[in-house]
Amino acid sequence: MNRFAPKNLLRHGLTLIFGLSFGSFLVGCNPTNIPIGPTSINSRYTDEQPSLSANGRFLAFVSNRNGSRNILLYDLQNRQFADLPGLNRQNAIADSPSISNTARYIVYLTSNQGRSSVILYDRITRGSQVIYQPYQGWIRNPKISPDGRYIVFESGGRGQWDIEVLDRGPSIELDLIDGVPSGFSLTGPQ
Amino acid sequence: MKRFLLIPMVSLVSLLSSCTTYPRLLNFTFDPSGRSLNSPSDDITPQISGRFITFVSDRQGRQDVYLFDGNTRRLVDIPGLNQLDILASHPGISEDGRYIVFAGTRQGQSNIYLHDRETRQLRNLTENFKAEVRNPVISADGSTIAFESSANGQWDLMILDARSGQPLDIPITPR
Repeated sequence: MNRFAPKNLLRHGLTLIFGLSFGSFLVGCNPTNIPIGPTSINSRYTDEQPSLSANGRFLAFVSNRNGSRNILLYDLQNRQFADLPGLNRQNAIADSPSISNTARYIVYLTSNQGRSSVILYDRITRGSQVIYQPYQGWIRNPKISPDGRYIVFESGGRGQWDIEVLDRGPSIELDLIDGVPSGFSLTGPQ
Repeated sequence: MKRFLLIPMVSLVSLLSSCTTYPRLLNFTFDPSGRSLNSPSDDITPQISGRFITFVSDRQGRQDVYLFDGNTRRLVDIPGLNQLDILASHPGISEDGRYIVFAGTRQGQSNIYLHDRETRQLRNLTENFKAEVRNPVISADGSTIAFESSANGQWDLMILDARSGQPLDIPITPR
């Protein structure tokens, strides 16, 4: 059978055209506005406030690309951005990201009408929750412990900056590497 | 008689139930003499890794890095880290407590320093940088360091291998 017979050429050509148009259709309809394709951490805009996962594989940061201020998560091993569905919202400014061991938990700060809150995002359940919101006063710079149990931050409630430690409790799912607890505790022997 | 019982009952119930609500703020004793986590001065930019909390405080009249052991609830000495001519900010610590990274300003020049608590050595990771640097972080295993650099006239991210001090081979240049 001759591959270059006019009939076969036509068939291959048609397959190619259909394939290309279908591919471009998929790409064009991708609803996310975060550039997943480009593999660059830095952009022509400000990229700041880095946070690293335990073995340095994931990098979370704040970027001003795409016309708004968003938290991005980059996989340094696979050289691509990870999806964070539901994390970045249009009407809230997200700031100061901090990630746990495998970047399962992302803790960050939002400000809404002058009130700041510490938000915890879980990449497995894809859900966010307000983990701390003071009645009054400012909070800054939240950081999550590698296992995800504790969150430290600055609080201005006493008229100066103090350090607060939030305990998520013994019943949470820890973000452990190979399932091995670190053996550290902040509520253990004192 | 019943009325007298009511008050202790209510307080006991509220005490018990308050013990089980999470998340909750931990209570660290406030020490006016500056030997604990919080002091009468500003205590800022805390970072937690394992049992350690590292932060910056001006409780001694100068801006230094402090290390708090959450297990023993005591400050830990970090000899060789705080230098008289370096203003320190934004410390971060590895989970084993060995490596502390921080931004230091010396004679108007900002650099990223890595302190090894085992050898008590202080290393300047950005000695040859012609840019301002800030906000360093270290991964929990101590292998990787990320920080911000002003080399391109805006804040960009730099990622270094902590051991060699060399930039990681990843695309980080502006598109």
